[in-house]
Order: sequence, then C-alpha cells, then structure tokens
Amino acid sequence: MNTPTPIEEQPAFQRTRQAREAELTLDHITDDFDGNPAGMQYFYELFRRTYIKGEPVAHEGKLIGTTCIQVPDELIYAVGATPVRLCNGSYHYDQIGADFMPAKSCSLVKATLGMLHSETRIPKTAKPDLVVNPTTCDQKKKASAMIEDMGYAVYDLEMPNTKESEEARIYWQRSVRLFAHKLRGVTGKRLTRKALKAAMARTARAQAAFRRLHGFRKASPAVVLGKDVFLVTNAFFFDDIDRWTEAVEKLNTELAQRQADGFHAAQRKAPRILFTGSPPVFPNLKLPVLIEEAGGVVVADETCSANRMLYDMTAVDEWLLYDMVDGLADRYLKPCTCPIFTRNDDRRRRLLDLAADFAVDGVVYQSLAGCQVYEMEQKSVAETLNAQGIPMLYIETDYSPDDQGQLSTRIEAFLESIKTRKRKVAA
Amino acid sequence: MKSSETQASAMAPVDNRAQRAERSPPSRGGDRVTAGIRAAINHVDLNRFRFWFQLVAFVLFVYGGYLAIDLGSRLPFFSCGYNQEGRAGVCYLLPLQHQLSRPWPMLFTAASLSILSGLGIFFLWFIVLNKGWCGFVCPLGTLQDWLTALRRRLGIRYANYTRGQFAQLTKVKYILLALTILIPLGIGGGLWSHDMSPPFCLICPARMILPAFTGDFSQFTIDFSSKTSIVMTTLGMMVTALFIAGGFIKKRFFCFLCPMSALHYLFSKLALFRLKKDGDKCTRCGDCYRVCDLEIKEIADEVNKPNIMTDDCTLCLKCVAACPEDGALKATFAGIPIFESTEAGFIRRMR
Repeated sequence: MNTPTPIEEQPAFQRTRQAREAELTLDHITDDFDGNPAGMQYFYELFRRTYIKGEPVAHEGKLIGTTCIQVPDELIYAVGATPVRLCNGSYHYDQIGADFMPAKSCSLVKATLGMLHSETRIPKTAKPDLVVNPTTCDQKKKASAMIEDMGYAVYDLEMPNTKESEEARIYWQRSVRLFAHKLRGVTGKRLTRKALKAAMARTARAQAAFRRLHGFRKASPAVVLGKDVFLVTNAFFFDDIDRWTEAVEKLNTELAQRQADGFHAAQRKAPRILFTGSPPVFPNLKLPVLIEEAGGVVVADETCSANRMLYDMTAVDEWLLYDMVDGLADRYLKPCTCPIFTRNDDRRRRLLDLAADFAVDGVVYQSLAGCQVYEMEQKSVAETLNAQGIPMLYIETDYSPDDQGQLSTRIEAFLESIKTRKRKVAA
Repeated sequence: MKSSETQASAMAPVDNRAQRAERSPPSRGGDRVTAGIRAAINHVDLNRFRFWFQLVAFVLFVYGGYLAIDLGSRLPFFSCGYNQEGRAGVCYLLPLQHQLSRPWPMLFTAASLSILSGLGIFFLWFIVLNKGWCGFVCPLGTLQDWLTALRRRLGIRYANYTRGQFAQLTKVKYILLALTILIPLGIGGGLWSHDMSPPFCLICPARMILPAFTGDFSQFTIDFSSKTSIVMTTLGMMVTALFIAGGFIKKRFFCFLCPMSALHYLFSKLALFRLKKDGDKCTRCGDCYRVCDLEIKEIADEVNKPNIMTDDCTLCLKCVAACPEDGALKATFAGIPIFESTEAGFIRRMR
C-alpha cells in the first residue's frame, strides 16, 4: 500500500476548494434538519473525515477502482482485493475534468476523470492497481483511454447494449469470467469456491441490511429522510463493507424503534418523492437536499448510487464456481435499469412498482446535463408515470452550485402543486 | 476479515428478522398463528424439502406394491407397470396405449367408454398436483435429480441448450405424444404388428430402470422374437442409455422430451395447483430463470400473464424459492396461496 502524503504537504488551495464544497453539503445535511438519527453519526463522521479532513481510506490487498456498479464486487473480494467506486460528485474535480471531455458532457464522468487526474484524490485511497471500466455509455467508454493515459492500468469490462436476449446474457457471462481471470493476473490469487462464497456472504449481508433500510422508507409518515439514505449508500462506494453493514444494521435498529414509537422525520403530510435519473454522488446531493429542505421527503430512489447498486440479490443453484460466477453475472445484468440499454421497459415498470409500494406522490427526475441516455429516456418515463396519474418534475442540472436558487423555486412549486392536488382529492 | 467473523456476520439477517417478527403489530391470535405458519412455509429450505418428499414418493411408488398398496392404473406419472412386484400403481400411458390398440370395430362400441372413464380418472389425479407430479413425485424425475446431485458432487458443470435448440426440442414431447396415441391406433387397425405395442413403453427408460430397483433386470434384454421386437427393444436400450447420459449432464434432460408432460399440458389450465406470477412486482432479475432445471426463460421475462406455467415446467417451485421479491411468484392451490416468494425466505435460503 502507498503511504499517504500527510495532508499538510498538499497544495492548500485545492484541498480547501474540494473540502469546502463537501463541508457545505454536509452542513446542510446535518444542520438544516431536526432529529437526525443517532445511527447517522457514523456516516456524518465518515464523510467529515474522508472528504473534509482528507483522511486516507484504508484497504486490504490490491485496490481495484470501479467506474460503475456493473463490476461484480464479489469477485474482487474473493481474490483478497478491495473495490472502491471512483464515480465522483465534486464540482471541483468536474472543472479539472473539463480539460478531457467536451464542454457539454456529463459532470459525473468529468469529475471522475478530474479526480483521477488530480494530485490529491479525495476520497484519499491509494492509487488503484486496476481501474475497471465497464463499457456502458459513450462517455465512460471513451474515458478508458484517458484514464490509461493518466498512468493507470485500465480494464474494459465489456457489456452488451441489450440485456433481454440470451446472446447478451451469454456474452456478459463470458465477460465476467474473463474479468475473474484478469483479477487473478492482477492479484496472483486464484478464485476459489470457498473464497467466493465468503465474499458473496459479505455482500449479501450488506444487501440484506440495505433492503431492510429500504423497507423502512415505506413507513408513512417517514422515519428517515432521503438525504441520509443517499449518504449511507454513497459511503458504500469507499467504506469497509463489513463496517458499513454494521453501521447500517445499527441504523436499522434505531429506525425500527422510531417506527414503533410513531416518530416522524418529516411533516405528516410531506409530499413523498421518488428520485430517479442520474445518480446523486456526494457532495452533489444538491437535489435530494433541496427537496427535503422544501418540505418534501425522498422515500425511494431508482438510481445507481443507491437502490440499483444494492437492491438486487444473487441466486445460485449449484454452489460451485461455474454457477456462482454466472449467477453473479446475471445479477449484474438482468435486473439493471440503466438507460444505456436499448429498451427501458424494466426501468419504467420498476418506477411504477416503487411508486405504488412507497405511496409516492411525485417523481423527481434528475439528468446531469450531457448525460444523453437519461435525457433521452425522460419523455417515455414521464408518459408512463403521467398515465398512472403520478406527476414528474424533470430537472436538468450539473455539479455547479449556480442554479440552486432556480432549482429550489421549481421544486417548491412542484411540491406545492402536489399538496394542492392532495387537498383537492381529500376535499 | 477473518472467516469466523464473516460467518458470524452472515448470521445477522436472521437475528434482525427475529426481532422484526417480535415487533410486528399484535393482531388477533388466530391471524398471528396463520401468519406464523405462512412465514414458516415461505422460509422453508425447498431443496431439502423436495429431496425428502421425492425420496418418500420414490419408495412409495417403486416399492409400495410389497405393502399391497395399489393406487390404480391411471397415475399421471411414470410409476412403471413393468415393475410388477414393487409398483404401487401404474402409469396411465400403459393402459391408454393398450386401450387404443383394440381392433377398430371395437373402438366404436360401448367398450370404448372405458377409454373415457380412464381419461376421467387420470384427469382427477392430474388436477390435484398439476405438473407438480413431475417435480415432486415422478420416480423418473427423482432419478434425474439424483443424477444431477451426483454430477454436482463431482464438480462437473451442467449443460445448457441454446435458445434455438430449446425451441426445436421443446416440440419433441408433442411428437412423442402423437406417436403414443397414433401408433396404437394403427396397431388396432392392423397396420403394424402387435410386437410394437405399447410403443412408448417399449422405448421408455422407466420400463428398464424402475424394475431394476426391485432386482428385476429382465427388461435389459433385446427381444429377438421378431424384427419389430428387435428394433423396439434396441431403441429402448438406446433411449435408456441416453436417459442416463443426458440426465447426468443436463438437468431434467428427459422431462423436456416427455410425452406425459405434453399430455399434462393439455389439461393444466383446469388444475388446482398453479404457479402464479405478479409481473408488477418482478424486477426481471432472472434469478428464477437461473435456477430453472428446464431453462424456461418466460418465467423471468413474462410480466403480463399471471398463469406462468409453461408446457416444459415441472412445478418444482425452485423459481419461487429463488425469487427475492415479496409475492412476485407463488404456488396456489384452488386459488389459495401456499408457497410464496419472500425477501426473508430468499435471504435465508441463499446463505
């Protein structure tokens, strides 16, 4: 492992800009709301230490950076390495990354490039021994060569453009098997049945904890706010998986108590919002925080920084390597609702299901400007939701803080219209 | 992380669930008992349950005859009639072929009412379990599951069909069913020799394999009495060899080709035991398709039809056990859900 550079030796200006941005978000999350769960302290502290103080993030074995949730973490853990998700949410890095990508490209990709290019990477991990970049959207695909030029070892994990056909499934299963071989090359460790089973138990436990947290959000009135859940799932990007799971389990115990006590984290009649679209990645939790500051409550999400990353679980028929690896491949492809695929039926069905299960009043759809696939799916998603009488607010934004005023006006109007509708229905 | 800690942590979801159960709002005593029973069933380790159920059924139908058990000769699964000593009942295909091979003039007399009454009794048996007879009772199905278990123990990967092969081979069972009905009719009409009767039984692997379980190996012979007999018994040998080899590398290899399965499907819309899917709750994660022995892709992809059972299905319910979405898949009996997919059950089973 590389010895981290002491924080004092780093250029003060960059650290401050990055840290100031993170601090601003975190302060909003902690100070603008009453009754934050005690179990959230772990996560508030984690982000304060990692993003503001710039404390190093430890890892075991080789460090495998991933740029997408399609990379099977289980395989990485099974060869004794540690995955870290590199997707970045910082405006500071977005500006650095602008040198690599056209002006009108996605903030997330730019910020990730900017972070990797920067001398001071926050979260401050060691330099990844391998960066795994699934071939998803065009911008991520083209980022591969750029990341390589920055001096990283990059592996393109080949993904199909469709997911319905058996051909796509087989192709992806082969891709995942090749990736397992690649990991062996990087770590020098063979993938064994026992190690993979243990790794799968670790992620399954994390997923079970997440699913339970997810389940608490069905409660009405809400027992937990969306801004906190986004913070929890964002911590999964870089935190130690077992420590993360324990912290979530602790939070769950507290939420169960809250539910039993009839506690409510938002106003009784707060509009219940389902969040979808481009992922909110810390510190860019701009939209969820704005929604909840305006009196709404984000009760569910369909994004790859939370629900989509942790929800779907792996089934295995024969607990032997061949079936376990293929089972993992299926879990990472089949339920995926990423807009990079040709069709989006599953995404629309998923949104309707979440809307019904979580008694959702309205949907907020975030597109990071330049993220074409989300922009292109906006219309069909809006039509599907509107046909069921669910209003949707479409917001195109980026990491810059400039549009906050304008956004909060639009969100307030949206929430107000929901409240008016509800009053009319009640009357 | 040390392995002991990993193991301990893997236990955690159970504890959570126990806590949750305690905290669930108190309701009337009866409801709570029902809910408790339901939860217990939905959390069941289906593979283990099936193993024992199948073992008991196998013993019953292969050795039950020694205890003078006789459940008649209209059974909707391969309780083979050639297993003269041990059988506890006879597969319907045997009497059906015999009845159909009567001389044609006789077919159009009142004697043929027995064909209809036979079909009626078969139907009454069938509607109870639907194709669950295949997944839970059929001795030949159970044998294939044991072959699968053997292969798994040896660490050998199973084989899959391509979608193209699947689409072609899925028709075989209907062709076999048509031949199982038409050839006896031809024999009755004098078109073919009686040495061909009963045609399906002569090539069915159960005829050779199941009597062998009671020490009767007499079916492992080629009958040289006539050309037809030579051909039919040789074919039978080959199919039996194929059954064992196929069943070893492919899960439920024979079921995919079984004419009984085709006959079942003609009546399955009327059966009491059903497999239902709530497409709205499905994330199409494909977990059900992954574990399906018969590689039925519709189980994962179809989100509009509530009655999800296809002609290849054996109602083994592995898909229900492998579904992590509450209530997305369920087995119902006369409309009452008896085994349902649940998140908690899934997490427990996949440990």
